[in-house]
Amino acid sequence: MQMWIQILLRTTSLFFLTLILIRLMGKRNISRMTPFSFVSYIVIGILAALTSANIITNLAFGFIAMGVWVLFPIVIDYLSIKSKWIHDLINGKETVLIKHGKIMEESLLQARLTGEELLRELRSKNAFNLADVEFAVMETTGDVNVFLKSDKKPITAHDLGQKVAPQTEPQTVILDGNVLNEPLTSLGLNKEWLRIQLENTGVSLDNIFIAQVDSSGDLHLDLFDDSVELPQPKVKEMIYANLEKNQASLMTFALETNDENAKAMYSRNAEKIKQLMEKLEPYLLR
Amino acid sequence: MTVASQVKQTLAGLKGVQGTLRIYSTQTQDDETKIVFNEALEVTREIINDLEKRVQVLEFQEPQYKGN
Repeated sequence: MQMWIQILLRTTSLFFLTLILIRLMGKRNISRMTPFSFVSYIVIGILAALTSANIITNLAFGFIAMGVWVLFPIVIDYLSIKSKWIHDLINGKETVLIKHGKIMEESLLQARLTGEELLRELRSKNAFNLADVEFAVMETTGDVNVFLKSDKKPITAHDLGQKVAPQTEPQTVILDGNVLNEPLTSLGLNKEWLRIQLENTGVSLDNIFIAQVDSSGDLHLDLFDDSVELPQPKVKEMIYANLEKNQASLMTFALETNDENAKAMYSRNAEKIKQLMEKLEPYLLR
Repeated sequence: MTVASQVKQTLAGLKGVQGTLRIYSTQTQDDETKIVFNEALEVTREIINDLEKRVQVLEFQEPQYKGN
């Protein structure tokens, strides 16, 4: 067999083989790998390259070497899931760099991190001021994660004592003018519902780039033609405004009527609407 | 505008709110939100009942404006 055909065949088969083997090894991100798994990926790569370029002439030897480098990381991953001890042995432990707002210099030395590098890592986590950092830890992947002091943390609804409506993830129902059936059915909706919604807004399907349905069932559209101004769904705000208006009317009726029973009825119901508005506010306005 | 027609207007507004709330209570994905909307529906139903009774009384008092 001619040499070039041989190399072509080897390379093609190794291409797909390596693809499958790397998929077998899991889907961890390159940037979040421990140094050792990085090494094993490189070794597999080099072995594949050497075998396909016919430097390792015996195909079986190349496959054996590759098999070992694929199998062992999988075995080790599996063992480290099962045992904390093996996990720590292989991946190492995270290093605490800042504790109670104070830099641990010995840990820096151990992680071989200079002061400048530490500051750069902190900045990349949006902690420009060292005084804002309560705790920082270097993960086994080399990432530095930062825990800010409680008065420097971004404020949440919980901090404000505000109730917010629970929301689930929105579903994309139209992409590039094509209706996606699976997300639609997972929301318990169908094409007919979508057709009616689009008819109401007066947009044709092929003009829609992306359409999403949020957890309350409102449809948000983005069109190819950006000159078209679409009304954003404001129905919930409208409900709230209507409740407010009707509450005001009931209060007026209560003041105007001379019938004592009716007065009591109007005031009672005005009060009911007021309570209802307070209860619905997080769901309708936030 | 007579009192009866004003009350009727409010009644219609509340019915509109009730309808929209019902749509949201059926199409929302979250169970907690569903419960809250259903409770709201119950409250609006009570208020609508009260107002409907009042409209009947008012129409009885001012039969000349009935239907306005």
